Amino acid sequence: MSAAAQPVERVESTLVYAHGLAAVLMLFVSVSFGIFASLELLAPDLSGGVSWLSWGRLRYDHTQGILFGWLGNAFLAFLYHAVPVLTGKPVTSARLGQWLFGLWNFVIVVPGWLLVLAGFSQPLEWAEFPLVIDGFVVLALLLWAIQFLPPFFARGLEDLYVSSWYVIGGLVFTLLAYPMGNFVPELVPGAQGAAFSGLWIHDAVGLFVTPLALAIIYYVIPAATRRPIYSHFLSMLGFWLLFFLYPLNGTHHYVFSVIPMSAQIGAITASALLGVDVILVVANLLLSLRGSGWFPRDLPLRFVGTGTVFYLLVSIQGSVQAQMAVNQAVHFSDWVIGHSHLAMLGFATFAAMGGIAHAWQRIPWASYNTTAMSWAYWLLFTGVVLMVIHLTIGGIVEARLWQSNAPWLDSVRAARPYWVMRSVSAIPITAGFIAFLLGLITGPKGAGLAEIEKTVGFHQIDEIAPRLVTS
Amino acid sequence: MNRFLRMSYLVAGVAGVAFFALSVLLLGVLPGRVLQQQGRKMSPEHPLMPTASELRGREIYGREGCAYCHTQQVRYLESDLARFGAPTLAWETRWDYPHLWGTRRIGPDLARQHGTHSEDWHFMHLYAPRSVVADSVMPSYSYFFREAPDQPTQSARDLVAYLESLGRAREIAGPEGEARARAACNCADDEMAQMAFHAPVLNTNAAKARRTGKTPSLNASGNLPRGRELYQHNCASCHGSRGDGGGSGLHPPPANLAAHEYTLDRLSFVLENGVAGTSMPAWRDVRLNDRSAVAQAVRELHVSQPEPRIPPATLELGARVYRSNCAQCHGENGAGDGFAVPELRIVPANLRSVRPSLAESLRALRNGVDGTQMAPWIGRLNEAELSAVAYYVRTFYDGGAK
Repeated sequence: MSAAAQPVERVESTLVYAHGLAAVLMLFVSVSFGIFASLELLAPDLSGGVSWLSWGRLRYDHTQGILFGWLGNAFLAFLYHAVPVLTGKPVTSARLGQWLFGLWNFVIVVPGWLLVLAGFSQPLEWAEFPLVIDGFVVLALLLWAIQFLPPFFARGLEDLYVSSWYVIGGLVFTLLAYPMGNFVPELVPGAQGAAFSGLWIHDAVGLFVTPLALAIIYYVIPAATRRPIYSHFLSMLGFWLLFFLYPLNGTHHYVFSVIPMSAQIGAITASALLGVDVILVVANLLLSLRGSGWFPRDLPLRFVGTGTVFYLLVSIQGSVQAQMAVNQAVHFSDWVIGHSHLAMLGFATFAAMGGIAHAWQRIPWASYNTTAMSWAYWLLFTGVVLMVIHLTIGGIVEARLWQSNAPWLDSVRAARPYWVMRSVSAIPITAGFIAFLLGLITGPKGAGLAEIEKTVGFHQIDEIAPRLVTS
Repeated sequence: MNRFLRMSYLVAGVAGVAFFALSVLLLGVLPGRVLQQQGRKMSPEHPLMPTASELRGREIYGREGCAYCHTQQVRYLESDLARFGAPTLAWETRWDYPHLWGTRRIGPDLARQHGTHSEDWHFMHLYAPRSVVADSVMPSYSYFFREAPDQPTQSARDLVAYLESLGRAREIAGPEGEARARAACNCADDEMAQMAFHAPVLNTNAAKARRTGKTPSLNASGNLPRGRELYQHNCASCHGSRGDGGGSGLHPPPANLAAHEYTLDRLSFVLENGVAGTSMPAWRDVRLNDRSAVAQAVRELHVSQPEPRIPPATLELGARVYRSNCAQCHGENGAGDGFAVPELRIVPANLRSVRPSLAESLRALRNGVDGTQMAPWIGRLNEAELSAVAYYVRTFYDGGAK
């Protein structure tokens, strides 16, 4: 390894490492909540009448844990790696990074979980942590912006790579959208509040998870393939359409409700158009992946590539299920639970894992285990497919029974085999997560860099690749 | 174009914020204003406000995640109308800070819960869901009780009070309220909005007693295996798998189907209407063939006993005691139509269509029937009178003869 090829040790590496590990550990906790809740549907007396084990509270902690504990930390880990590369400047402050780490994990996620288990929460989707936590989330999101946005402004906004746009957009709009889902429905009653709540349900996914996951995908593909993105114009078109259309989707969660039909139709139309936009985005991404094969050797690339395909599937599915003819049947059923797992576990988790693994490979003192990573990929892939297929079919079965005059409990009985398979799918999924953790903490130190050297010879070029593609 | 996109970041930033503001305006603020106006204009002038206990119950409902399995939003769809009743109007949700609409139905929608279940049933159901709903997957909320379902804490009482309040305001508003809402809606040409007012009944919940006056005849040769299966799925959790009543804590207790004979018409009536004042819901949504099958399965549960020969003198004594003590409720001819019936919360047994076993007859006379107006007669009648009347009431049964 020549001197020029020596990796530059950056102040952010420790933060990448800390958030990466915290993400995976919190993923285990979040998934445990989910698995236990899924088992309670098969054996409802499992909770033994213990309040903090009751289904509702576990369900709240499952999704909040995934959103804040897993994806939040994963995105932070990726940002600490990518923002300095994208901007050529360090993040605002390493000290701020330590504070943010503590705030995010020990003031928001862990106390949030405990408060929910103790019976302090709010019954709003993607906003279940109690109000007192929401205040800290807003503060933390502000700190995200202070930490990561100034480097972009410092280098000047010209020639921003598309990942940078997604990062800026994601951070700014999450900060704006968060209070709408968490505070407004507490102040505005009933149906009126539900209209705002619907916006946040979609914005949590559309303005936080999706932009940051896409930032990762857009970053990792050129960095790992060392080829520019297929079309920068398509990237930017996709970005703007996405930020125009995503917020307009919210009301599709309440189709056939008392919310004015004009708003429902608007949201349904935006949902259909969003599917078109995603085809555009994904086409651009898949064309950029040409020549890498379906299952690239570089595992972070393989994760984001598959995440891209899941993104296409889940978005098309979303466009279809927002349409009235489909929505009237499958809404409220397990079909939707399948959809949300395809989004969060398929698309977002695969992207986040690709992002973490990609950054990990480039920390010279970090362990990296390619074999474990490969296991993680296949186990997770199997688990996601198994779960989503069964929940989707189960949802159709439920929908048909609801439309007949069968007693309600018949739909619960009919769902059972699909719920069994959902719980079974937790086995490969959990095994995949364990393999992913092993991929990060076992194996020789610097193995990630060695892996890059082996496949492409020289590792630093890929760090600047994302910037090169804009010219 | 490319260059424009890259350089005009200021325009872009403004445009981005504008997109977001547009979404809030179009999907939040504007629909919100319409809903606010609807909530004001379509609401009854003086709707019944939720009580402090109901509001506390609402908090519990929220923090336990009830809304994640039970929606509170009947949609403008035929299937929802048929299953739950009239679609939810904006004003019905005006006390909900925050809303509890929900986006998943594992259990049924609860927006029309009012008046569908007894308090007893709710306590049993919260304490041990599967003791009253077979194969339910609801968690047990036994932590809201001291040691048994009949020892609810304040939390359980609040929660049940809240559940009982769901849909109440609309129901109390009555036809005048509906007329007012329809006038305020001013939407005669909006087919969908009209669905809110044209539901055949406000609340289709089968547990809601709805006497139609006519009860369909059941087929005496129903499909027995099918009936047994339906019985185990839908009836056994309360009545016990052999019909002899489970360990249920309901008041009145579920009928002991092993100790009673029923005419087919009686079973048909109960399946069509439920038993008002008890936890027995109506099963009128079940197809007629299936109801015939269940009726066969229920009649099969009856365990017949050898009938002793009763000396005429005993029957005479029984008749005398019956006329002076029982006829005012159970009727001169045992048809459950005595003059005191309008005063009673639960209609007395019609002994022409139900025949208790001798042991059951004696037990009811001695101990009364918990949760009904049937009092214990032990102490008021001597042993000879008790057994005489126990024999006598069994002679009314006509076996379904017309």
